[in-house]
This record gives sequence, structure tokens and C-alpha cells, in this order.
Amino acid sequence: MSLDYVKFSNGFEKFMPKEYRDMVEHGPFGKKVTVSQMGNFKEVLEEHPMCAGCAMTLFIRLAMIAFPNPEDTITVGTAGCGRLAISQAAIPFVYGNYGDQNGVASGLSRGLRLRFGDKPKDVVVMAGDGGTADIGFQQVLHSWFRKERFTTIMLDNEVYGNTGGQESGMTNRGAVLKMAPLGKKFEKMDMLQMAKVAGCAYVATVVPNNPRRVESVIKKAVLIAREVGSTYIQAYTSCNIEYAIPTDKVMEDAKTVENDRYQFTEYVSDEAKQYLTERYGYKEFLPKPAAPAAAIPGKA
Amino acid sequence: MYLVADIIVEICAAKSCKLCTQYCPEANTILYSEEMGKDQGFKYGSAYVAVDRCKGCAQCVWVCDNMAKNNAIKMIMIDQLPKAALTDNITYGEKSTTAVLASPVVG
Ligand SMILES: Cc1ncc(C[n+]2csc(CCOP(=O)(O)OP(=O)(O)O)c2C)c(N)n1
Ligand code: SF4
Ligand code: SF4
Ligand code: SF4
Repeated sequence: MSLDYVKFSNGFEKFMPKEYRDMVEHGPFGKKVTVSQMGNFKEVLEEHPMCAGCAMTLFIRLAMIAFPNPEDTITVGTAGCGRLAISQAAIPFVYGNYGDQNGVASGLSRGLRLRFGDKPKDVVVMAGDGGTADIGFQQVLHSWFRKERFTTIMLDNEVYGNTGGQESGMTNRGAVLKMAPLGKKFEKMDMLQMAKVAGCAYVATVVPNNPRRVESVIKKAVLIAREVGSTYIQAYTSCNIEYAIPTDKVMEDAKTVENDRYQFTEYVSDEAKQYLTERYGYKEFLPKPAAPAAAIPGKA
Repeated sequence: MYLVADIIVEICAAKSCKLCTQYCPEANTILYSEEMGKDQGFKYGSAYVAVDRCKGCAQCVWVCDNMAKNNAIKMIMIDQLPKAALTDNITYGEKSTTAVLASPVVG
């Protein structure tokens, strides 16, 4: 949790593996890196066992690049595919029992505030749709009602991917899966609406086929969670195994699904808009200069 | 044997849009060199693949063919690559691998 942990200890430099040297010399710590610089710096994410071509992997990769201060960030995860990669990064990762991620993150974020005061330490939860909307549902909702200041990201592959294809609350009605052979009988849960009702200061949907948008959404969510309140991102991250998407068609599928039912949406509370504008110089929420006095509130 | 992505420097360097780098699901796998290609007289640098990290999904091929419309990436059997293309020989500090790539050592 500081830049000191990405330095060489005196005399050890020549014994360190190449990946570590690359991280120290060409990593993102203490610098501002962006998606457009990808391929020119060493990313914090290392090799991991997630499936070839998995869109969730791409999303996690982009999210980690987008963290505003990776050296001051802790990720929290739970059972499910995502943790296989999230745990393999040069960012501390906390892993609890299935579904308790938002409870753990609540304690962690409060503890960090007691210990470090105003110095921002970001807590980011990344969990599957099953972990967030089914098993962890109660803890997720309560953390939002309590306005806990951390970011919750749902890696929504619309299935329990890690355990071979059971339906989740986020599976679409009618979807036939290996372990839901008759097709799902209920609608996909509207977690976005629930996040708003529970008082989240920022709620967005995103699909990884637009890397710059993923970056912008993650940055805003993490910054808002520092002071204003809970933030929620719901990302479509297809499971190419359970939905039998050929790996070279994963981005085509993302585009189709984005157009069909996962359009970009973003809700920003007025307080969060003001905070981003005043504290971090965001210009997009300022009243449009030429427009007749109609102000922004209706925009989101 | 298995397939890995291979970027044809001559075709990539004519466009060099960096899209594949942003869409590969694996971190630190499609890298970008400002110099590669320039030493052959091309205007831009080129993307290249750290093949020991590549999982062979071919998403980059789709991106280069359909989004970049440049057809610069092909899947090839790992044993058809010059040994020097393995990541061991590529450090982030010295990205111009063109010289080593010129001498295949597979056999
Ligand atoms: C208490 C408990 N029950 C069941 C499991 C088994 N389990 C592991 S991952 C998983 C499903 C994960 O699905 P989801 O949260 O949607 O994530 P995905 O794998 O799809 O990314 C289950 C049921 C567990 N680890 N702990
Ligand atoms: S099972 Fe599905 S979600 Fe899990 S890593 Fe494989 S493709 Fe990704
Ligand atoms: S998408 Fe194609 S043209 Fe663009 S950088 Fe990659 S290989 Fe080069
Ligand atoms: S084949 Fe897949 S893993 Fe390999 S470089 Fe292309 S996108 Fe990345």
C-alpha cells in the first residue's frame, strides 16, 4: 500500500525475476497510465488460469489499468472465475467466503479510513453475478443502504461460470444452460434500479468492447467512492465456455449484446457531479455554456 | 503443438493503430514497439506478441481484420516461430526485436 513495495531491496535487484524488474522499471505505480498507452508499460496483472478469450479477463485487465492509484488500492473478491485473475496482480487482494465480499469491503474501507485518515485508499469489489446478485445480495444491498464508500463491480457473465453453468438471478429469461436445461423461468434481475433505490452515488453499465469507456467509468466510480458514497458498475463479461461463443467472436458478441440489452447507461448523483467537477476538474458536468439555462440534472 | 498469434510487422507498421493491444484479454501479451518497423523504413512502429503469454484465442485476429481492417495478424503453430520471439528475449526496455527475429532457431 505504498510506492515502497514496488522497489528493489538493496542488493537484490539482480536476483529478481524479469516480471518483477519490469514492474519496478516499467510499471504504472506512481505514474498516470491510460488505456491508450497499453502495450507500452508493464501491467500489474500477471498470468492467470482464466479461459482463453474470456471477456471477463479483458474487463479485469482494463479495470486494473483504470484504477486511479493502483499502489493505494485493495481489491476484494469472492468465489467465481474473476478471482483467478484478480488475485494474480500486484495489487493486494482480499478473498473471503462466497458472497461476503461487500461485508468484508465495508470493514476494510472503514479500517483504512481510521488508519490513514484523508489519504485515499481505494477499495474495489469485483465479483460475479452469482456472487453479487444471489449469494451476496443481502450484504451488497446493505452496504449500499449504509452508503459504504467503496466501488462494487459486477462481472456479469449471466451464469455461474466457475461451477459449470447454473442459472443466476442475472441470467436472461428463457436462457438454456448446461444446468438449467429447461430454460430460465424468471426475468433478469434489475440490479441497476436496485442500486439507485439503495442510494448509490454512481451507477453505470459497460461492455468491454469499448476500452476507453471502461476506463472512464472505473475512474469515476473509484473517485466518487472516496468521499461521496457507494458506486456500482455492472459489466457484461460473457462466458464463452457456458454460452458456447467461439473465442474469436467474443467481441462480436459483446457488440451485439451491447446494442441489444446492454447499452451504456450512467447515473451520477448531483453531489457526485459536483465532487468530480470541483475536486478532480471534470468538465462534463458543467452547464453547457451556450445552452439556454436548462441545466444538467435530467441528463443522467 | 498449439496456435499463437503472430503479427506481420510489415502490414502492422503501415497502420499501427494499437487496437489489438487494447482488446487482447491477456495482460502484457500484445506489446508495442515504437522502433520495430521503422528500421525497415516504415513510418510507424509495430505491435508484437509475447507468445509465451498468448492463449491462442484469436480475438486479436478478429480485431485487426474487422475493426482495424488491416489483416496483420495470423495464428501460427508455436514451432513455426523463431525461438527468439519468445518473451525471454523481449524486455520492456529494449523492444526492437527485429534483429533477433531475423534468425529463426527452431529445430
Ligand atoms: C458458500 C459456497 N457455496 C458454493 C460455492 C461454489 N461456487 C464457487 S464459484 C460458484 C459460482 C460462481 O458464479 P458467479 O458468482 O456468477 O461467478 P462466475 O464464476 O460466473 O464468474 C459457486 C456456486 C462456494 N465456493 N461457496
Ligand atoms: S468459465 Fe466462462 S467466465 Fe469463467 S474463465 Fe472460462 S470463459 Fe471466463
Ligand atoms: S490491430 Fe492490426 S494494425 Fe492495429 S496495431 Fe494491431 S496488428 Fe497493427
Ligand atoms: S490470440 Fe488471444 S491471447 Fe493471443 S495475442 Fe491474440 S488476443 Fe491475445
